[in-house]
Formats: sequence, C-alpha cells, structure tokens
Amino acid sequence: MLTDLIGTVAGAILVGVFGILVALFLMGVDRIVTARMQARIGPPLSQPLTDIRKLFMKENVVPANAIPWLFNLAPVVALASAITILLYIPVGGFAPVLSGGGDLVLVMYLLTLPALALVAGGFSSGSPYATVGAQREMVTMIAYEFPLAIVIITIAWKLAVSGIPLPFMLASVQANPVWGLVGPLGIIGVLILFFVLLIVIPAELSRIPFDTPEAETELAGGVLVEYSGKNLALFTLTQGVKTVVMASLVVALFIPYRLSALLPAPVILQPVLDLLFYLVLVVLVAFVAVSLIRVSMARFRINQVVSVYWIYLSLIGIAGLLLVMADHFLRVV
Amino acid sequence: MNGDTTKKSTPYTVPIGPVHPALKEPVMFTFQMEGEVVRSVDFAPGNTHRGIEWMGMRRNPVQIVHLTDRICGICGIVHSLSFARAVEQIAEIEVPPRADYIRTILHELERMQSHILWAGVAAHELGFDSLLFLAWRVREQSMDLIENLTGNRVNYGIVQIGGVRRDISDDQRPVIEQGLAYYRGLLDQMKTVFLDDSTIRMRCRGHGLLSYRDAQLLCAVGPTARASGVAMDIRHDYPYCAYGDFDVHPVLPPQEFGGPMGDVYDRIIVRLLEIAQSIDIIQQCLDNLPAGEILWEKKLPKLLSILKKAQGEAIGRVEAPRGECMHYVRMDGNEAPATWKVKASSYSNLMSWIPMLKGEQLADVPIIVASIDPCMSCTDRVTIIRNGSAADLTKEELTRLSREKTRRLSRC
Amino acid sequence: MVRLPMMPELLRQLFKKPATNAFPARYLPPSVTKFLQKVAQGEAVINPPVPVPPGFRGKITYDRESCIGCQLCLKVCPAHAIEFLPTTKRVRIYVAQCVFCSQCNDICPKDCLHMTPEFLLACEDRFAESQIVE
Ligand code: SF4
Ligand code: SF4
Repeated sequence: MLTDLIGTVAGAILVGVFGILVALFLMGVDRIVTARMQARIGPPLSQPLTDIRKLFMKENVVPANAIPWLFNLAPVVALASAITILLYIPVGGFAPVLSGGGDLVLVMYLLTLPALALVAGGFSSGSPYATVGAQREMVTMIAYEFPLAIVIITIAWKLAVSGIPLPFMLASVQANPVWGLVGPLGIIGVLILFFVLLIVIPAELSRIPFDTPEAETELAGGVLVEYSGKNLALFTLTQGVKTVVMASLVVALFIPYRLSALLPAPVILQPVLDLLFYLVLVVLVAFVAVSLIRVSMARFRINQVVSVYWIYLSLIGIAGLLLVMADHFLRVV
Repeated sequence: MNGDTTKKSTPYTVPIGPVHPALKEPVMFTFQMEGEVVRSVDFAPGNTHRGIEWMGMRRNPVQIVHLTDRICGICGIVHSLSFARAVEQIAEIEVPPRADYIRTILHELERMQSHILWAGVAAHELGFDSLLFLAWRVREQSMDLIENLTGNRVNYGIVQIGGVRRDISDDQRPVIEQGLAYYRGLLDQMKTVFLDDSTIRMRCRGHGLLSYRDAQLLCAVGPTARASGVAMDIRHDYPYCAYGDFDVHPVLPPQEFGGPMGDVYDRIIVRLLEIAQSIDIIQQCLDNLPAGEILWEKKLPKLLSILKKAQGEAIGRVEAPRGECMHYVRMDGNEAPATWKVKASSYSNLMSWIPMLKGEQLADVPIIVASIDPCMSCTDRVTIIRNGSAADLTKEELTRLSREKTRRLSRC
Repeated sequence: MVRLPMMPELLRQLFKKPATNAFPARYLPPSVTKFLQKVAQGEAVINPPVPVPPGFRGKITYDRESCIGCQLCLKVCPAHAIEFLPTTKRVRIYVAQCVFCSQCNDICPKDCLHMTPEFLLACEDRFAESQIVE
C-alpha cells in the first residue's frame, strides 16, 4: 500500500518534470518551425527556458484593483491541473501513472480546469481587457467542448461495441488502436474525427486563429494582460504543458503504436525507442495543430469561433460519428 | 453599475490608447461597448505633436525641404514634394522635365513601398503574422531601389526646390527595370494570398463600412475614399509632375470583386491594384525619360538669394499613398516663410473612423483603425495644454482662433 | 470552400533558407558592445551587414585643410548640426544631430564635406569622439 503510494508520488513528480521538459522542448520547436515558415531564423531551442527563467526573476505585479488571492492562485491551479491531466494519459510510451483511477471522461473534465483558472485569473485582475478576454475564454471553452466530446465518445463507443472492457479507460484505448476495429467506411470516419481533434487543439491552447481571448492586437494579451513575473511564467508553462497534454491525447487516441512492438530491439532499448517515437509523434501533432495552423490563418472573431465549432466542426464530427456507426452496423448485419 | 437590472446591455468603456498594440502611433480611443459590440466611439489625436511647422518658420526653404522629409516615417517624398511645389509656385520656378519625371518615379516607388507596408500591418492586425513577414520581405526590394536612387532608405532627401538632387544614371536603369519585373511577378501572388484567403475574407468583407455619401461628407481622401467609390485622385484631377503626360485614373474596387462596397476588403483591393498602377507609371516614366537638367538652379547660394526675395502664397498638393496631402506656404521676402501649414492626408481620413467603427465588434477595431492607413505623426499639428495637462477646444474657441489667424495672415 | 493560399507557400518556405540577414550574429549576443569588442580583437566573427549602394549617405567627413570658413554650409544645414568656430575659422559637425541630408556637401565651394558609407554610428554619448567631426 505504502510502496504503491510512494511509487505514485514519485511517478507524479517524474511525470511533472518530464511534462515541463517536453513542454519547453515543444515550445522551442514551435518557435523555430514557425520562424522558418515565415523565412526568419527564429530563436535558439533553449529560448522558452530562457524566457521562463527571466520571468521568474522579474517582479510579480499585482494590480491595485485585483483580488490578490485569486489573482495569485489562478496560475498555480492552472499549472497543477495541467500536470494532473498528464498523470492520466499515456506519456512517452508509458502507461499513465494513475492508470487505475481515471478515464477519458475525467480527462475531459480536467481539461477545463486550466481554462477555468485562466478565466478566474482574468476576472480577478480587474482590467477591462482581461475581463473581455475572460469572457471570450469562457465562450471558446464552451464552443470547443462539444466537438471534443463527440470525438472521445465515438471512440469509446466503438471500443465498447467491439467488446472491449472498460472502453473509457485510456489504457484500453491505447491497447486497441481504433483503426484496427473499423472497416473502410469507419476509417474515413475516424480520419474525420482525427481532423476534428486537431482543430480543437488550437482553441484549447488559445492559439491563432482561436486566440481571441488573448488577441494581442485588440486586447493586448487579454486575460493575461495584468500578469507578469512568476505568475506569467506559470501560465506560460501551463500553456506548454497543455500542448503536451493535447498532443499526447491525440497520440493516445489515434496513433497508439509503439515502435518497440514493430521493431525488434533489445529489452533495455525498448523504452528509449518508445520515448523517441512518442516525441516524434508529439512534435508532428504539435506542428500540424499548433504551428502550421497558427501561421497560415488570420484570427477569428469570437462569434466566428463559436460558429466554427458549434456548427461546422460539430457537423463534421457528427458525420465522422455516423460513418463509424454505419460501418459498425453494416458489418454486424 | 447604475442599478440597471439588464446588466448585459449596460454599456461599459474600453479605452484603447494612447499606446496600445493595435495602434502603430499614439492616439486615444474611447469605446462605449455593449458586450462585444461598439456602441459609440470617440478619439483624441494630438499625442505626437512635434512642432515641425514652428521649426520650419525659423529656417529657409532649402532647409525646410529636408525637414519635411521627417514629417512622416513612411512618406519620404510626399511632404518635401508638396512643400517644394508650393515654394516653386511662389518663386515662379520652372522645374525641368527630367526632374519632374524623376520625382514621379520616386513618388510611385514610395507608393509601392507604402502600400506593401500597409498590407503587412493590416495582416498583423488580423493576427496573420506570416503575411506581415511576407509583405515586409518583398517590400525590401523597393526600399533597396529607393536607397540606390536616393542614397537613403527612408529619408530620401531627393527633392530640391526647383528639381531633384540626383539623376538617374544609365547604370541605374537596369536596376529599376529589375525591381519592376520582380514586383510584376509578385503581384498575382500578393493578390492570391490577400484576396483568396478565406480567413481574411471572413474578417474584412462587409466590415468597417464607409458609404459613398459618408466618404464625401467627411471629405475622405485617397484609397479610403476610392474604396467607397469616390473617384478622386490628385494625380488625375490636378496633374502635377509628369502625371499629365500619362493616363492615370483613380483606382476603384472593380466589379469582379463585388464593386465598391466601402469595406476593409475594398481598401485592400484598392491598394493592391494601386501597386500595379504604380509599376505601370514608373515603366512609362523610364521609357519616356526626357534628357536635360535636373535642377532649375544648380548653385545653391543663388537659389537661396532668389528664394529670399520671393513673395506670395501658394498651396502644393500631391497624392500621397494615403490620399491628398497639401502644404500651404506664404513667403514675405524674408529668409524663412511667414506661414507654413501642413495638412497630411490622414487629417481628412480620421473622421471616417466614426461611421466605420459604429456597430462593429471589438475584434474588428484594430483592422478598421488600420484600414485608413492612419499616420498620426503627419496629422498631429497641435496639442492643447491648459494648466499643465491636455485639454479640448470647443467649437466656438476653434472658430474664434481660426478667424484670428485668417485676419493675421491677411494683414501681412 | 475554405481556401488558405498561404499554407503551401509556408510549407515550401520551411525548406528554404531564411531571409533574415544574421547581422551582427546569428543570435543576439548577451551584450552587443562586448561582442563588438571581441570582434575587434579577432575573437569573434561578425556577419557582415547588407552592403550599401554607391552614393549612400552615411557619416560625414570633413577636409579641414581645404575649408575656407565661408560658413555656407551652416546656412543650408536643416538640423543646425554644424557649428562655426570663430577662433580657427573652421567648422565642427555634430554627427548625433546631423540628419544625413548631404546638403552641406552640395553647397560647399571647396568640396571639403563628403558622406561616407559608414552607418554603424549608434553611441551612448552624443559628444563622444566618434560623434564629432572637425
Ligand atoms: S548632412 Fe545635412 S544635416 Fe548633416 S551636417 Fe550636412 S547639412 Fe547638416
Ligand atoms: S561650406 Fe565648405 S568651405 Fe565653407 S565653411 Fe563649410 S566646409 Fe568650409
């Protein structure tokens, strides 16, 4: 019992550190890749680390008409909850640390926590920009929740009807790649869902074209406008960890393969191989969902964000769901 | 809160400015918002007043020409050209044709770089930074060209009273031709990335509307007016320099894009098409470049003494990239002009912000504000200070002051 | 249909050379002044800036010997950057104030003022030796 607990705690710390490191790495890669696409050189890979270090050295300003305890609590909660999600999803080719305790539904709930913390922080900073930003963040959150739910439920449903026990458990999702369970029609459906999940990521991470809550040119940073120093560093890290979370979620749901299972390698090297493969996948997902989308579009208006998610993406998602269902029932018949 | 039960419709104030990422130059906006929608808007310029006219009235015209270069950070020739044209009219100086052609070439090169710069800024305001980088990268070519012709990228210092200070040599012709070919090849790509992009269309089509009537009532000028369908262009209406020799027509948003609607999208179209027009004009200038002198009076000391004797008043008008720009100069036989008044194009365009912004979303404020390509430092000619802080003038005070000034001017 | 014409262009650019000229170094050195000192001592290499075209108007030079002290240059300098020194009957030019219009070059009867291609003139002290030409 005690060893279990110690193991979990150690695992949690390990995952936390690992998550932050991967987050910094992803942020660095994102900045270089974006710069290259825009014909710039871009900063060195270590730039995010430098930025965070610098932010920690800077003064932590709390505005006069903020609610100090909430204002200071929000970034901590945001980062803590983002790391907590990491404990529930498979990272780096390993099984989730808290594999026994939670499932996809829990992950979905947890995903809203950093965003809620951001909203709370925005409202408590007492600036009109932050207030508008926080309102927008809430609207965005509600907007992307539905397509995200469609994706997750479809996959769990498919696992369930395929007779796999505990379909909402990430461990079972990972053990049974959804591609293997569906027929040709279903593959199209799953591809569509894959696409939907990729488009949900920029909103989840408040990146262009869905960065309306932060919107540098109109809100000067929106929810984050009053944040500085340590608090801003924590929020920046949250953003990075969330990128890792979303990329890992995509990998777990749609590309749950291990290189070690495909390549014969000595047992010792297997985790290394898996880890590398995972990193490659995560970077690829982050490239498409974060960097590429971010550089090739203009920012949406908040009402456009809502219509994109509620109408277009939801419809596309439902189409994917129907295809998967049709595939199932046609094959059963 | 004033105890209103319908809290949602309570307007709240969002200040933008004087310094804000949406603004490239300081100006103060106050928005009355209802949710995300702008109910009313007020703005206060006057934050970048530098007293250039005051400095000018203590210098001779030859010095002022180079002072005018610094009125704007983008228009390096517009102000010096319109000032020089005013002084040339007063002193009855005839500019040699070759100088007129060289002035035209640089004037159009400047329009190209200014419009491309604007396109990049507009993309940035839309959150589309890749386009900003792309636009500013291709702008570099025109800046290099200008540097090659004048000796400097931003403050050209090319205009002299009575002509230009540098000739275009035969070695420079191929460089210009090359630059023009570069932009000809790029135009289609620019049009595609700006006008075919769904996200840009979503954000710009039908937003920031300025009707034909409003454009006329508010005396909008330049691309802002032309995008609303007002066919006006000083180059066509009152040709100066070499424009009289060519067919220059005001560029209006063409039918194929839905005709003039007067929205932000139309302003993008007009500016992109004007780049093409500029390329044509430069090509024609190069092909027809007359031989001869480039200065009316080569000896500067002699020019100075002629200008010192000049008396009279005149207005120099040019079509700047942002619209009509004019300089009023009055000389009374002293070294320095008695009066020098600069009216930059943005001065006429600023008021069109009010109808454009009303009813739009907060998210559209940056792009709509940028869509008239405002230049605050050109516009700000006055700052009112009372008891140590900025103050407003009422209409009555303003009328009284301007009457006084008119009387003062007509006396001298 | 959703059209994003920038996307292929950006993907293509990913495999092309960046357009940035890495001047003075690829990444910003912690201290530019120290970096330049190192360059002067030959310990570091500087990436050259974009070359300037012929006829570029940079820092001014002054030929003290041929100057006759006619003060014409003072009359046309828009920035009041030239000072006449009555004792020596020569002029002094404050580079920090000069706006590089080269008007003084045009008017000088003895052709003793010229513009050079030198443009790296930033300095913390406007009266430093490098900022005064006499
Ligand atoms: S270049 Fe122009 S500003 Fe500089 S000293 Fe000569 S006249 Fe004055
Ligand atoms: S114009 Fe030339 S000769 Fe006359 S004072 Fe100036 S530098 Fe000397």
